[in-house]
Amino acid sequence: MLTKLAGGRVYDPANGRDGAVGDLFVRDGRIVADPGPGAAPDEVHDLSGRVVMAGAIDIHSHIAGGKVNIARLLMAEEHRPTAEGPCGCGGLATPSTHATGCRYAQMGYTAAFEPAMLPSNARHAHLEMADIPLIDTGGYLVLGNDDLLLELLASGAGEEAVADYVGFMLNATRSLAVKAVNPGGINAFKYNQRRLDVDETGPFHAITPRRILTALAGAVQRLGIPHPLHLHGFNLGVPGNVEATLDSIAAVDGLRLHLTHVQFHAYGAEGDRKFSSAAARVAEAVNRRPNISVDVGQIMFGQTVTASADTMAQMNNAGLAHPKKWVMMDIECDAGCGVVPFRYRDKAFVNALQWAIGLELFLLIEDPWRIFLTTDHPNGAPFTSYPELIRLLMDRDHRLAHMAELHPALPEHTILGSLTREYSLGEIATMTRAAPARILGLTDRGHLGPGAVADITVYTDRPDRRAMFETPDLVFKDGRLIVRDGVVVALVQGRTHVVEPAYDPTIESWMARRFDERMGQRLTHFRIAEEEIRGGNGLLRHACQPGAF
Amino acid sequence: MASERPTPPVARPVVHRDVVCPFCGLGCDDLIVEEEPPATLAVCSTDCPVARERFSRTPAAEPPRVAGVPVPLAEALEAAAAVLAAAQAPLVAGLGTDVDGARAALSLAERLGAVVDHALSDGLYRNLAVLQRTGWIATTLAELRNRCDLLLLAGPDPAALHPRLFERWVAPAPAFQTPPSREVVFLCGEPLDATRVTLSGLPVTVLAGDPAKIGEAAAALAAALADPSRVTGAAGIAAEDIAALAERVRKARYAVVAWAAAAFEAPHADLTVERLVRLVHDANRHTRCAGLPLAGHDNVVGVNQVCTWRFGVPLRTSLAGGAPLHDPHRFAWTRYGAVADAVVWVSAFQPEVPAFSAGQTVIALAPPGTVFADEPAVFIPVGTPGIDHAAHVFRSDTVVALRARGLIDRGLPDVAAVLAAIAGTLPQEAPAC
Repeated sequence: MLTKLAGGRVYDPANGRDGAVGDLFVRDGRIVADPGPGAAPDEVHDLSGRVVMAGAIDIHSHIAGGKVNIARLLMAEEHRPTAEGPCGCGGLATPSTHATGCRYAQMGYTAAFEPAMLPSNARHAHLEMADIPLIDTGGYLVLGNDDLLLELLASGAGEEAVADYVGFMLNATRSLAVKAVNPGGINAFKYNQRRLDVDETGPFHAITPRRILTALAGAVQRLGIPHPLHLHGFNLGVPGNVEATLDSIAAVDGLRLHLTHVQFHAYGAEGDRKFSSAAARVAEAVNRRPNISVDVGQIMFGQTVTASADTMAQMNNAGLAHPKKWVMMDIECDAGCGVVPFRYRDKAFVNALQWAIGLELFLLIEDPWRIFLTTDHPNGAPFTSYPELIRLLMDRDHRLAHMAELHPALPEHTILGSLTREYSLGEIATMTRAAPARILGLTDRGHLGPGAVADITVYTDRPDRRAMFETPDLVFKDGRLIVRDGVVVALVQGRTHVVEPAYDPTIESWMARRFDERMGQRLTHFRIAEEEIRGGNGLLRHACQPGAF
Repeated sequence: MASERPTPPVARPVVHRDVVCPFCGLGCDDLIVEEEPPATLAVCSTDCPVARERFSRTPAAEPPRVAGVPVPLAEALEAAAAVLAAAQAPLVAGLGTDVDGARAALSLAERLGAVVDHALSDGLYRNLAVLQRTGWIATTLAELRNRCDLLLLAGPDPAALHPRLFERWVAPAPAFQTPPSREVVFLCGEPLDATRVTLSGLPVTVLAGDPAKIGEAAAALAAALADPSRVTGAAGIAAEDIAALAERVRKARYAVVAWAAAAFEAPHADLTVERLVRLVHDANRHTRCAGLPLAGHDNVVGVNQVCTWRFGVPLRTSLAGGAPLHDPHRFAWTRYGAVADAVVWVSAFQPEVPAFSAGQTVIALAPPGTVFADEPAVFIPVGTPGIDHAAHVFRSDTVVALRARGLIDRGLPDVAAVLAAIAGTLPQEAPAC
């Protein structure tokens, strides 16, 4: 079947199109070149005047796995039937799998990635992601606090052995990328350490966080995994943590590194309140180093719940829980999880400054290919706040009006008021489509060139950018219309994106022994079979290119 | 991993190695199971009574029945759909099934507007009530095994429900502590004989207080932790024993407090859990300490996980009014079962179905050989996950999901297929969002 999307203004930064009017053709779920005047499309959508982009891709959103379910249990209040939401499914911060898929698709997103899949919980995360309709998914594997890796490093293992370990783990857990969460810190918390500095030797294994960080960044490079090491850095939320953030950038010494929810890691300790914006310093470092990318983790005001593997940081924040209940878990010698409900208040100075720091980062980091739109859902805000966030980026007047409603001391602590930049539609298309696909190695996603998967979103160009991005006119997944005027019209299933880097399998005999001796689980059972992912029809493999990055 | 199948017709047992046991939630995956053709199984690698008994019950398939009369499967499916299409207040419960079975059961319940619950959710809800009220600090089995130097067991010995707990997760020395030492304390409960044997190499202390007053013992312990001068006796345990235990908790590097809430005897047992959770919380002011709530027979933990991700709320939920409505009191199956007019009861792990009142139409999915107090309206024999078909089940600690493989083929359908077929026979509705 041939479908023609006629006469839209196409924003396709990967192919150099910035709003020029043109036609798109879709055949069998993929975009094809113009078949010429002889071809008769089976279906034509007249898109004159409309804005056409690829389906949006969220590179960092906690959509599945153990901590998400704990957050749902803890946030029972927001699931009462009175809770607002389309389709009667409550839970803005902790939506069900069904609501997750629907709300993403209704906003024009066709993929979202779970950025914190613990090795021991990977099978659960995959089972859960398979129940999210409409969108593609995938998971980043959390390493860097796993006792086996720390043991390997402590034994003096070389880069090759570490890469083999990481390669095995990515294959076994069907992951797309490697995530490090407060490397060494979660492990140290299990020994009652409440803080661990970058160059401080950790308990038991006697390894420094710097060593773990560089080992993982090196392994990612060696294995040729498209996505750089996805780092949740040190001292999350602590004033003055910008030093550790800049330290991390220096530590990888030119290797590629993605700093996630960097807003939470861009804090200074200056001024009368000992809490200040260090966005300019972070932005300056990012602007100077093309090996560094970031996503922001913008906070938005209101009730949400924070869920993180970083038990060390979450335990420090537990006293701020709203409502006053929280869960910490030490998990299976590989990581942990901390779930702390939180309400960001616009009249609170700290929260207002967090909001401003996020926006400063967006506006000061120049290259939209290396900064990504996230709220670290649900930690900074539910992903449903993206349309409002886009409006804040594209509309300075709106930004200033909003700022005026916040804590009165804010203006003297932020340069936000002086930043005149407004994102263009092309830049939004870059940061939410083209760039996420490129940094994850999804070669046939995030663009509209021939061969690309026909994940397409069509908007009416409204001056109110929030309204525009909240309710696209049409959303196509694999060429099929799934949303019309904000209503889901077809429930389809997405796919699961993975990498399968090559590694030397001799590491497996060492690991099998360790699993028998420590984990109470056979290594063969730890490994997730292809048939377990979406009934065997779900895997999409992306190429690894050792040495390419 | 692979089964060693000899070339027929040699009639010696087939040996299945590294078999995953799906029954009690400990996630043992090291079983050796011998298969005597055609379909007799025997666990030969462990004395675990749960594994030995459950794997040994594999009678031959039998046909479905409608009103006691054997019928082809298609006819039973139609009869079930007819009952459910007419039901006003249906209950989909039991839910002893794997992840796929749970998905199908929840989808069917959504279509019917039914209430959902698991047969064994009492213990789970004593824990979840506290998780939802106050939160907690918890741990998992491999953390227990490798990091815990002081294990405190509150209440009756959990090995009664989870027989290999001590063998697999407590007896081995902690790999990630120096020195690799561990001691075990029973609080308001006594170790079973088998537990004493398994733990013979470790220091074991038994503070055999009143098992109905575990919460009081936990509170006394928490008070003594905060201020040793405030120590009192509790639950029949002397003040000096409480004081000594508080001191050990304080000096522990990684203490674990474990309990099986299903075995608690006191009324409002969730309050007992809350006291234990509070104790764990307070101990973290001094050192590291984590709770280990044990619950998990018949994949209750896995089914609750699926329900939570599918609906945003856990089991004991009504799907009758559009948005899921969770109420752990009203929608407990034991309570709602008294008013439901039609019951879909799923028990794929064991041949047991509770008796329902006359006038309630029961559709039972259970293994062949299930004995009923009253013949259900529809009985559809199903295979057992991890015996008849591959299956995903969750471990008791909620984190680890395991894939159990199928061992034999008795020609039985699985729960997911049966429930999907019933749903497919119901009048179609447009998908809502």
